[in-house]
Amino acid sequence: MKKTLTLLIASTALTTAIVAPAWSAMRTPGDTFAQTVATVLDDAQAALPLVFVSSDDDDDEHEYQNGSRYDDDDDDDCDDDDEDDDECNGSARNPAPAGTVAPPQNGLFGNGAPPQVQVN
Amino acid sequence: MKSVLTTLALTTALTIPGLAMARPVTMTTTLNNYGGDGAYLALYVSDAAGAYVGSLWMAGSKSKYYEHLTDWHRATGGDTAQVNGITGASVGAGRTLEITLDLADALFDAGYTLHIDAAVEDMRDSPNEVAVPLTTQGAGTPVAGRRYVATFAYDM
Repeated sequence: MKKTLTLLIASTALTTAIVAPAWSAMRTPGDTFAQTVATVLDDAQAALPLVFVSSDDDDDEHEYQNGSRYDDDDDDDCDDDDEDDDECNGSARNPAPAGTVAPPQNGLFGNGAPPQVQVN
Repeated sequence: MKSVLTTLALTTALTIPGLAMARPVTMTTTLNNYGGDGAYLALYVSDAAGAYVGSLWMAGSKSKYYEHLTDWHRATGGDTAQVNGITGASVGAGRTLEITLDLADALFDAGYTLHIDAAVEDMRDSPNEVAVPLTTQGAGTPVAGRRYVATFAYDM
């Protein structure tokens, strides 16, 4: 009997220790359940720092039967469409655009006017 | 007076060959309406033996896609230094890319061939889309590509 009473008291104490702080935390932000949930989610988002893991989108590449491999359309950080973005991870490996540096010394170019380009 | 004339003759003799060694060449590439994203194009030159000599233009700025320009990539190992200063945006379907480059005279009538590799996202790669000998006679004559290029021509 004494043993059962001891177990009961211990479990009650543990439950109280765990539930009471959680309950009071959930009660604090809002009066309604919706407010409480929204506040808790906001808090969680604010607490989590935005960590940039990698922009290498090799994961979403696919191999096609013809051997060509391309990214999915939902690739968000290095789209083919935004030619002028400099945020891509691989920007350091990208070549210098025309007009920013001289053409390569490959013997094909003269020393005259720099390359001119126009897309119609 | 005599020394001035000598100097003038000497500077003229040194300048004229320099001017004559290169000329502006306009390359016009018109793409088909293939119904896809912008095409990456690599324009490069091979010699009479078929060996890669150098690049003339890269349409498409992201090097991670260059592996799809398969012949160019094989020849260069994807070395972006080959296209530093001669890289522009990719070219949309149905559009015309017009590049004017100051090219060495030695490129023409000497057995060199201009190649274009093309690639479009989610579509088939097209190496050697265009291969045209660089000759003065061939200037202004449009040639058709295999898949994405409707016509290509160079004018001097």
